[in-house]
Amino acid sequence: MDRASLEIGRGEVFTLLGPSGCGKTTTLRLVAGLERPDAGEITLRGRVVASVPRRVFVPPNRRNLGMVFQSYAIWPHMTVFDNVAYPLSLRGLGRTTIRERVGRVLDLVGLAGTESRAATLLSGGQMQRLALCRALVYEPDLLLLDEPFSNLDAKLREQMRLELRLLQRRLGITVLFVTHDQIEALSLSDRIAVMHRGRVEQTGPPRSLYEAPASAFVRDFVGSTVILKGRVSALEPGRVGVTLDGPLGARALAGRSVASAALQNGAAVHVAIRPEDIGVQEGRADGAGALPGVIDTLLFVGDRYEARVTIDGAQRIILLLARGREWKEGQAVALTFPPEAVSVWPA
Amino acid sequence: MAGVAAPVALGRARSIDAPALLCTAVLAVVAFGVVYPVLLVVLQSFQTALPGQPPRYGLDGWRAALAEPALRSSLWNTLTVTVVRQLITLPLAVGVAWLLARTDLPGRRAIEFAFWAAFFLPPLTVTLSWILLLDPEYGLINSTLATRLASGKGPFNIYSFWGIVWVHVITGSLTVKVILLTPAFRNMNSAFEEASRVAGAGTWRTALRITVPVMAPVILSVLLLGTMVSLQTFEVEQVLGTPFRFFVFSTTIYDLLVTRVPRYDAATALAVLVLAAMLPLILAQQWVTRGRRYTTVTGQFQNRPHALGAWRWPALVLALGLVAVVLGVPIVFALLGTFMKLFGFFHVPEPWTLENWKTVLSDGLFMSALRNTIVLALGTAVAAVLVHSLIAYIAVRTRYAGRRLLDFISWLPFTVPGVILGLALLWLFLGTPLLRPLYGTTAVLILAGLVSGMPLGVQIIKSGLLQLGGELEEASRIAGASWWTTYRRIVLRLMAPTLMAVGMITFVGAARNIANVALLSTTANRPLAILQLDYIAEKKLEEAVVIASIIMLISLAGALAAYVLGVRGNVG
Repeated sequence: MDRASLEIGRGEVFTLLGPSGCGKTTTLRLVAGLERPDAGEITLRGRVVASVPRRVFVPPNRRNLGMVFQSYAIWPHMTVFDNVAYPLSLRGLGRTTIRERVGRVLDLVGLAGTESRAATLLSGGQMQRLALCRALVYEPDLLLLDEPFSNLDAKLREQMRLELRLLQRRLGITVLFVTHDQIEALSLSDRIAVMHRGRVEQTGPPRSLYEAPASAFVRDFVGSTVILKGRVSALEPGRVGVTLDGPLGARALAGRSVASAALQNGAAVHVAIRPEDIGVQEGRADGAGALPGVIDTLLFVGDRYEARVTIDGAQRIILLLARGREWKEGQAVALTFPPEAVSVWPA
Repeated sequence: MAGVAAPVALGRARSIDAPALLCTAVLAVVAFGVVYPVLLVVLQSFQTALPGQPPRYGLDGWRAALAEPALRSSLWNTLTVTVVRQLITLPLAVGVAWLLARTDLPGRRAIEFAFWAAFFLPPLTVTLSWILLLDPEYGLINSTLATRLASGKGPFNIYSFWGIVWVHVITGSLTVKVILLTPAFRNMNSAFEEASRVAGAGTWRTALRITVPVMAPVILSVLLLGTMVSLQTFEVEQVLGTPFRFFVFSTTIYDLLVTRVPRYDAATALAVLVLAAMLPLILAQQWVTRGRRYTTVTGQFQNRPHALGAWRWPALVLALGLVAVVLGVPIVFALLGTFMKLFGFFHVPEPWTLENWKTVLSDGLFMSALRNTIVLALGTAVAAVLVHSLIAYIAVRTRYAGRRLLDFISWLPFTVPGVILGLALLWLFLGTPLLRPLYGTTAVLILAGLVSGMPLGVQIIKSGLLQLGGELEEASRIAGASWWTTYRRIVLRLMAPTLMAVGMITFVGAARNIANVALLSTTANRPLAILQLDYIAEKKLEEAVVIASIIMLISLAGALAAYVLGVRGNVG
């Protein structure tokens, strides 16, 4: 992990998103104080907790952070109550205060009444709530979440995501969240930092990340992207014309060039668009704005269809088709690419 | 954060790295207790002056040791006994561990406990009870067979190479492997086996092609451990080998020490040779276990045992036969021996008597020896749990710079033959002014037990720690607990079953320890094990076997306690 500079605002949910091994967990552990940095500085609410130049290292127990681990790390030798009471007893609180605060936080996540139960007898979702209670009960300055949903099944995951978002809003707590799941990241975060090979590729609110990715990695990692290959055929301010590769050749598309890329006429480029932005009509393409395609394979996935479509008999793309209409394999379709949704990248 | 309550303040950050200081203190103490005695042994091998004279250094000891005519044969004997023991016990132990852990063998829990209990039997007691059966003249099996055989002589002789191997197989080689391998086999994810079964392999082929290869690192590690332990053996060869002039390394060394003029230089020179042979084995052991991923049993997978089908009953007979040999015979015959007028003679008129018990129990020495043993065993157990767990924790969990060194040092006591280790500790106590007053107290013997039990104790706790997820401790640190509080309230509590087991193993080890304390004990702190040795030396075998049985009963009680505590305390 190198050269990452991040700043998290108070009350914000900030997410580190990236594939496994990109350094996001290391970053989280550095913030937690579970790893020592080789260089640089970490500041929490104006207090330097780790600084190599100033030779400062505050151990994790003196940083006042909360953390929910991937495995939840529920202590198996303690009851539900003891698990939550542990951080409070470390802070020297009285018996009655502890009882009252544990009760309140368990109530908050719907675990009231389980106090005396052995922590190991809880279900996966309950354990996760318990881990959250344990991390929240002492009002940490920052809550760290290390892939907290990865051990839950899909339904429970969605539910916990919503619960966590509601709880965070209610308590106004600052959260640093680590995940490799872009849906979790997009739905939970105020801001996201996409990490790749130990570096931050882009930081921004979910929507701008999705709609205006700054690099090919961010574009492909966040959400799915349809990519077509071609060459630049026309250059206008804010608009690039592209002739697609393929046996039929002459098909042209228009789109905006990504801000950072300076393109030249004839240069090889990738044309990128989110699949849901592609317009799909039944029948053959006739106008100049539409591309002719054929549905190769059609998968019904419940709320919609997933279709593999061959364009010009050469390039294959995956599209999502609405359930409202009847689709068939082998059917011809006309695809339209709205220029405002198309971006052109150097190949 | 309106919903919960006001934040709670934590104390100010400290600038001194307290954990590193503690680690260094532990390293220093362990180095003094282990490395220093080992260095003394090496130094002593070059010290040629007679005891009581000013030191003189030279190579006389080495010359004498290497010229010793018995040396070559004792080297060869050590090697052959070790190799043959391992060859016999390893496949047997792997088979038994597989049966106990991965099949539906009837009564497998009880059988596992029987092996566990047998592991605790003192080797000397087991040796004495098998003498009752296999003595060439009076042994019960031999004399029974003799009347039916044409030769008129029993076929077995326990005072032979194969007799020694047989007793070794029973007294440790087999049981220690079974009790180490069975939990490891049990913790293996059964998905490996299920995949093989689905792919079309039967139970046996799956066991041979999947289970054993997957477990290869564990098996290899147990084999290396077993080899190291067997290079250490002392009592069995001392009792069974000496009558027919069969010496192994440890008994040769002992011989050099107990002659009229003790040859400390030659004895320690031989010990240094053992040390040199052990070091590569330790490095190999550490290398084998180096990158091992210990997976925690999470309850995510179910361990469905293989159905043995028609093989259940033959397998059960085999397992019960082994239990009878390793546990049944030693207990029954050791106890029988205590009631014999003349140890080993079943065919004299009226062979039974209560006199032996009366004699021993009324002996004034007995009560003080019993008291010494209990203080010694309890003290060693408590000290071992504290010290060994600290060493294991530092080695496994911290980033402390000296952790590998500490880990290595914890193996060193294995490299020095027990008698020599005792001798080195004696030098340590007499040579350090601050410690000299302790000589003759039980504290000395406790230290000997602590040091000699270190390799096994630290290893057991280390593997327990590795199976414990590190996040459980990190969660405590984040919650605001210091390193020390986390160690006390999370690590020690979660490790309680393992620590109890280590405590009991050390308790029993200290109660029966002979080799380490033989030269350290005085009349004031003499424990039962040494009293037993004294009775044997005085040829009072009847009294010796009474003491041996008492030690055995203490050991079995310890085994039972460790098992019950371990099972009850087992969380999750």
